Amino acid sequence: MDRSNPSHPFCYIVLAVLVCFSIWPMRASGNETLDNKPAANANTPRVVSFANDVVPILTKAGCNAGTCHAKAGNGQNGFALSLLGFEPKEDYTHIALEGRGRRVFAASPDHSLLLMKATNRVPHRGGTKLAPDSESYRLIADWISQGLKYDGETAPKLVSLEVQPQRGVLPRNSQQQLKTIATYSDQQTRDVSEFALYESNDTSMATVDAHGLVKTLDIPGKVSIMVRFQGQVVVFDAAVPQGSPVDQLPPSKNFIDDAVFANLKELGIPPSAICDDSTFIRRVSLDIAGRLPTQEEVALFMQDTSPTRREQVVDRLLMTSEYADFFANKWTAMLKNRRDDASDIISNFAFYSWVRDNLLSNKPYDEMVRELLAATGTVIANPPVAWYKRVKDPKQQLEDVAQLFLGVRMQCAQCHHHPFERWSQDDYYSMAAFFSQVGRKPTATRGEDMIFHKRGLAGYANAKTGIVQRPTPLGSPTVAISPDEDPRLRLADWMSSPENPFFARSLVNRYWKHFFKRGLIEPEDDIRDSNPPSNPQLLAALEKHFIDSDFNLKELVRVITTSQTYQLSAIPNEYNANDMQNYSHYYPRRLQAEVLLDSVDDLLGLRTEFPNLPSGTRAIALPDNSYNNASPFLRVFGRPENESVCECERIQSSSLAQSLHLMNSGDVKGKLGNGANRVNQWLQSGKAPNEIIVELYHIAFAREPNEQELATALAYVNEPKLDAEGKPIDPPRILRENFQDVVWALVNSKEFLFNH
Amino acid sequence: MNRSNSHDRCCGPASGGGLGRRGFLQMGLAGFSTLSLPGILRLQSQLSASDTQPHEKTAVIMVWKPGGCSHIDTYDPKPEAGSEYRGPFKPIATKVPGLQFTELLPRQAAIADKFTVLRSMRQTAPGHPAGSMQMLSGDPDTRDKPKPKYPDWMTVTNFLRSQQGERTNPLPRYVGINPPLEYNGPAYLGEAYSPFTVTGDPSAPQFHVPNIGLTDSNEVQRLQRRSTLRQNLDTLSRAFDRYGELGALDQFEAQAMSLLTSPATKEAFDLTKEDDKTRDRYGRNAWGQQLLLARRLVEAGVEVMTTSLSGQLCGRVGNWDDHAVNHHVFDALKFRAEAYDQAVTALIEDIYERGLDKRVLVVVTGEFGRTPKIEYSPSTGAGNASAPAGTIQPGRDHWPRAFSNIWAGGGIRTGQVIGATDKRGEDPIERACSAGDFLSTIYHHLGIDASTTFIKDFNGRPTPVVDHGKPIPELIG
Repeated sequence: MDRSNPSHPFCYIVLAVLVCFSIWPMRASGNETLDNKPAANANTPRVVSFANDVVPILTKAGCNAGTCHAKAGNGQNGFALSLLGFEPKEDYTHIALEGRGRRVFAASPDHSLLLMKATNRVPHRGGTKLAPDSESYRLIADWISQGLKYDGETAPKLVSLEVQPQRGVLPRNSQQQLKTIATYSDQQTRDVSEFALYESNDTSMATVDAHGLVKTLDIPGKVSIMVRFQGQVVVFDAAVPQGSPVDQLPPSKNFIDDAVFANLKELGIPPSAICDDSTFIRRVSLDIAGRLPTQEEVALFMQDTSPTRREQVVDRLLMTSEYADFFANKWTAMLKNRRDDASDIISNFAFYSWVRDNLLSNKPYDEMVRELLAATGTVIANPPVAWYKRVKDPKQQLEDVAQLFLGVRMQCAQCHHHPFERWSQDDYYSMAAFFSQVGRKPTATRGEDMIFHKRGLAGYANAKTGIVQRPTPLGSPTVAISPDEDPRLRLADWMSSPENPFFARSLVNRYWKHFFKRGLIEPEDDIRDSNPPSNPQLLAALEKHFIDSDFNLKELVRVITTSQTYQLSAIPNEYNANDMQNYSHYYPRRLQAEVLLDSVDDLLGLRTEFPNLPSGTRAIALPDNSYNNASPFLRVFGRPENESVCECERIQSSSLAQSLHLMNSGDVKGKLGNGANRVNQWLQSGKAPNEIIVELYHIAFAREPNEQELATALAYVNEPKLDAEGKPIDPPRILRENFQDVVWALVNSKEFLFNH
Repeated sequence: MNRSNSHDRCCGPASGGGLGRRGFLQMGLAGFSTLSLPGILRLQSQLSASDTQPHEKTAVIMVWKPGGCSHIDTYDPKPEAGSEYRGPFKPIATKVPGLQFTELLPRQAAIADKFTVLRSMRQTAPGHPAGSMQMLSGDPDTRDKPKPKYPDWMTVTNFLRSQQGERTNPLPRYVGINPPLEYNGPAYLGEAYSPFTVTGDPSAPQFHVPNIGLTDSNEVQRLQRRSTLRQNLDTLSRAFDRYGELGALDQFEAQAMSLLTSPATKEAFDLTKEDDKTRDRYGRNAWGQQLLLARRLVEAGVEVMTTSLSGQLCGRVGNWDDHAVNHHVFDALKFRAEAYDQAVTALIEDIYERGLDKRVLVVVTGEFGRTPKIEYSPSTGAGNASAPAGTIQPGRDHWPRAFSNIWAGGGIRTGQVIGATDKRGEDPIERACSAGDFLSTIYHHLGIDASTTFIKDFNGRPTPVVDHGKPIPELIG
């Protein structure tokens, strides 16, 4: 009950009676008036449609948003509408029939609570949503005075939506007015610019107001404005060129460079220079093998004079076991290889090894996914069954598969039409139907089932309509599957077919992001028409290359890292510093938790010990999340707990706790002070301080210290010190302590913390 | 209040406050666009430009009784109930006419006009994990799970407030002193929003807080030298930083430095700076000094403060989980009553005496109450408040259906009692308040409108910070 309204209950009764009188006769006549054409006489208001006028106005005003009156949210103060107006019939009931009829008052539309609240004449927590002199207000008032007609089934349906223009080249800091045209099933078209919703996909590049006026800002690139109206979505694509001269392009190495450089030329953004050798080998080792390059690797590379020496580095890295460790770490997190119980350990190890072995042997990606999707048997006999151990519900299975392998987020569609998407609840449940025949039988291991195909016709009931949906791949026709056939195999067929619009695209975009920090589509697992790629030609070319290579993951890594684009310097030139999505320079990234921990250990020649694993196991090779418990380092730097299919579970942003940890934790202090670390060993063996400094630079940065760095560090390590009582400390101890400070300074430097 | 409507929900008047939080709402709904770091920074500047809220940040101290405290034996006595229910503790009068506690709480009874008792708290999860998750994060799930699905109110507050702009106070925003951590946490917000955690017994002479105001001046000096050396060595061009990440890192590093080296932060954690009388008043034991430290930190600018009353003072198993197998429930309550009563009383009085009662809301609660009906089982071991193994002793089990918590400060009207339970203390008969209501009330004090604040989860779905619930009208200042 709504305590905020002080009206006497008697008023409700009077109002309800009045409204009843006004609704019923009118509704009867409303059924006879089917046309929705504008009235011939301009003085007579046209017949206002509930479905095509009133609901879109409520959507535009935000009334049915999740935070306001949407049922999916809280339905503030008992007034609950369908989320974003996807269910006009329900909305009609809530507006015209519920609330004791006081929400609309046909005898005096201006006194309807709906309008009094929307204009804030009666105190409205949501503030003023409609101006009393607006067209929207007038339309709702007309609809009320015309007798609250419901036309959800009879009103012309929206057939198509168009935005004009559809694309454009807009200078920076310029404007463009959009026009939105709706076409209905009765052939009528209507300018709905004022009633559509507009949203920019990157507000640092362009903003758009409620009327569809686009304003570009300083940053060049591609930006899209999503236009929504009555459940349909169209997109306005804008190129915002910078227009600087691009005359010095590095020679293109492959199709990636062709597409990136063409885009940079079109936008007038000159790329940075190619990075130097030290930067390259450090960057590519961190990105492919998840570790710093070894001194031997650096030496080999620096001596090599062959013109293909960078390509050879890539080839060698792809042969390392660390490549498999690093990418298995990435995949097992998304595949939720999680230790919830001590008894999970066997399944954790088996699943991890399966993923890692497949990466090491470079099994084609589509085959790997097929084996996972259609896994049957026990975890021990067939490790990918472990995925079904962690992800038990068919709905969860469909959601994970869609997001992870197709880059499509289906979660919202379980309960309502996704506001930015074409996926409906039927689409959701028809995808879930592929998992409806997954049979389970308990095994001797707690929480672990044997997985088998349960004979029978696959189907999953739409929770809302109750109608059983048959297996249907997204955007494709329903497939007939006999009761003997495992539907998951058919899903795998559809996914790996070369025509599949999501499967390869999602993977290449995910991998692109791995190497470039920003996906061509961002977020990387949110592929939809309304979220277009920043460089569609490049994405299409990568997709094609990946499919043509027979889903070869190593080849994908190779083609990306051998491109000139990947090898551009992180240092911007005077024209491209603004660019954040066209890859005109390398975008630096903080090392992820495991890599950072290993790098600190590498610098000091130590290894962190993890329980139940052989000594010397690198953090990057940890099979599951359970090791986070014992490692504040991994936790504080954001190693995921393998709970989400989204890579965003890994925290890559910085925090106070991280800074404190690196600067002052017992963990890091212990490593610096450890007598067995290589600096202390060197000192003990009498190695000269300048040689130690040079070698530390080799390991940390794959380069020589410059003169100034060497001088600064040398001066520091030789500085005399006094102890607490003011007595001079003996020289070996000074050297030891001062060297700890040098390593501390290196580890805490940006150059160390970032891949750049 | 309509007393005849027995299962009326806590449904407050539409509150006018909190609309200044629109910025969060926009962020939660950013939906289509990726909230990149520059996006966050931009939002911050918008917020600081448009938000005209008072500069003094409100704060909450939550005193947590892990395991669940028996309501019948403390704040909701049932002297009329049968002997298999009521327990041995006699009711006593309090400063508030008509309000009775049990004899375990004489000090709180004497200041009952300074806080408000909510006797109709109710949630639906019977286990410690799910119960804690309901109370702290509003997760409606009644089943226990190993990790929380939603962030707790503490990390949510830390997150939302850190979006508002750079923190100038060198103290962390969210501090926990032996805080509840087992069944709550930041979930999809990430570890960065977890508390700065202090563990140990603050009453112990060797009590020391690591990472705060290094005590050794040599160490401070060394850290400063190191930091200078790093500046001299780390000459890598900052020009490449378009994402603002290095800038954010610099900010955190500066904050870490000041936390480590500033005498002010050290002082905030230094209980020896309190006079002896004050320290005595809270009780010279872990709980008393925990609450004193909490007050001290909040006074120095901490905004989210949690502390658990657990450990040795609880009895053999170290928490309030008084099943007969763990504790003799009545011995256990007696065992911990004095320290508890003294510490909570001192905190509440102190908050008012030091003029913190508008800014700081104090809430004392656990995840549930305990079964009104006494059960008898053999003890599993001897120890404080438990007889030797095998001895049959009385206990009370988990009871989420009805329990009590107390509220003070926060500008609320005190000396009230809200809600009531039936004659056996089994269910609320008035004003049942859910975990969502509990959380919305806390959020309300923090200036967060829980009904319109959404945060994106891992899937990008805008998720409300409270699923269902409204601020409890009697508890909003």
